[in-house]
Amino acid sequence: MNNQGWLLTPALILSATPALYAKSFGIQYPTYQESQKGFFPQATQFTPADIELSESEIDRVQLMSNVRVREPKQKIWRVKTNQQDIGWFIIDRVIGKHELITYALALNASGSVRGIEVLDFKESYGEEIHEQQWRAQFIGKTLSDPFKLNQDIRNISGATLSCKNVTNGVKRLLATYAIKLK
Amino acid sequence: MYNKTFLSCLTASMLISPLIADESLFGFTQSAEPMPKGAVDLVQHLEHHGDKGSGTYNGLYTKTEMEYGLTDRFTVSGYLIGQSVQTSGIIVDGYIPGDHSAGFALTGYEVSGRYNYLSTAGDDFGLSNYFSYKHLNKDPHSGQDKTVDTFELILLAQKYFLDGQLIWVGNLGLETTRAQRKALSKNQWDHLNSKGFYETEAQATANGGQQYDWPVHPEMEIGLMASTGLTYRFIENWFIGAEFVYENESETQVGIERYSYYAGPSLHYASQKWWTTLAYLREFKGGGESYDAQDNSNLHLIERTKNKFFFKLGYNF
Repeated sequence: MNNQGWLLTPALILSATPALYAKSFGIQYPTYQESQKGFFPQATQFTPADIELSESEIDRVQLMSNVRVREPKQKIWRVKTNQQDIGWFIIDRVIGKHELITYALALNASGSVRGIEVLDFKESYGEEIHEQQWRAQFIGKTLSDPFKLNQDIRNISGATLSCKNVTNGVKRLLATYAIKLK
Repeated sequence: MYNKTFLSCLTASMLISPLIADESLFGFTQSAEPMPKGAVDLVQHLEHHGDKGSGTYNGLYTKTEMEYGLTDRFTVSGYLIGQSVQTSGIIVDGYIPGDHSAGFALTGYEVSGRYNYLSTAGDDFGLSNYFSYKHLNKDPHSGQDKTVDTFELILLAQKYFLDGQLIWVGNLGLETTRAQRKALSKNQWDHLNSKGFYETEAQATANGGQQYDWPVHPEMEIGLMASTGLTYRFIENWFIGAEFVYENESETQVGIERYSYYAGPSLHYASQKWWTTLAYLREFKGGGESYDAQDNSNLHLIERTKNKFFFKLGYNF
């Protein structure tokens, strides 16, 4: 029992960590341009329409969505086909367990959700968040929907915080649309 | 030889890889989040205890932990435990029988489970139960031969603020221990005799020294602990925090015998595959019982130390 050779076990496991770490994580997320084309294949024009919310607008967005506004600036494109508005494309970032999660929200001209796409996700668990099955839950949603985990949005085990913050993020963007873009 | 190999491998892994760990935000206080079903991680814990208020004391403790998500709510872990305790110039009646120096050795194992009732993010308030059984063949305080069996039950609570940028964690636990020392060897008694401590009252009287108590019958101990911590993500991946720990222990047929309060900072880094935590706790108040030679009678230093350092590495497979 006092033989110190047992220490080699954790030492060798720890030494092997770089090799384990070096393995590829696999998922290739789309660029925002690819995502724009994916959501609006018929679009002829993506016009930058970035906004910055004033303090009173932040208050209204927070009141309407019940979600905190972290960044008043929002990266937005107005989407057109032959001079006709067909929707909006928004890039947003929310807090994950370790890092920020970047995702895109596509809105129809009516303001309902056309779809969401994860553009950058580096959390330990919950890569299913990029899968169509999970993202499809948001299609057609409007601000009047609950946006509650395990009610209208399914949770992903091990990534509850990520799911919750993306869900809240979409709700906040719908409130932003109602106040600033509608 | 083995120590050198271990330290060189550990150093290499620390330098080459971004260091590893299931995420531990603090040194002592545990978070309430379970692992998802099928997830596996490996955690290496290193803990150093120092300064007993007299002489020199160095306790280095290691735990190698493998953790597995049995279901989305129930996580199980197994641990290999090792220690190296070195003391010099400290004699505590009934607890530390003089100088002791031991290299790293495997001293026991632990198994634990953590069941999650409420999800921190999903239910807005996280609540889990942690329970464990630990067996040791050495006393972690004195390094002497001792059989120690411990059951622990802890309620873990957790709350996210600012979308998870600020995290509060609280623990409330109960620990029961059955322990039995082995008799001291003749060499150890000779060492104690040379310092003026004797096994019997008659020997002490005859030599003008003190009697030294070293009971070898089984002892039962109950301990309560409460701890809380708050940590803030100041940039991506990095958390800085502080925790506060209260512990007390009552031995058989005794009321609250000893207690201690610790507080200190923590720094945590986590990425997709690995994490690391560095934390420090300082005893700032304690009591119930003290030993004559300790330099601060307002601290509990018989089975505690003034300083505790924690270092953890975790890798998510």
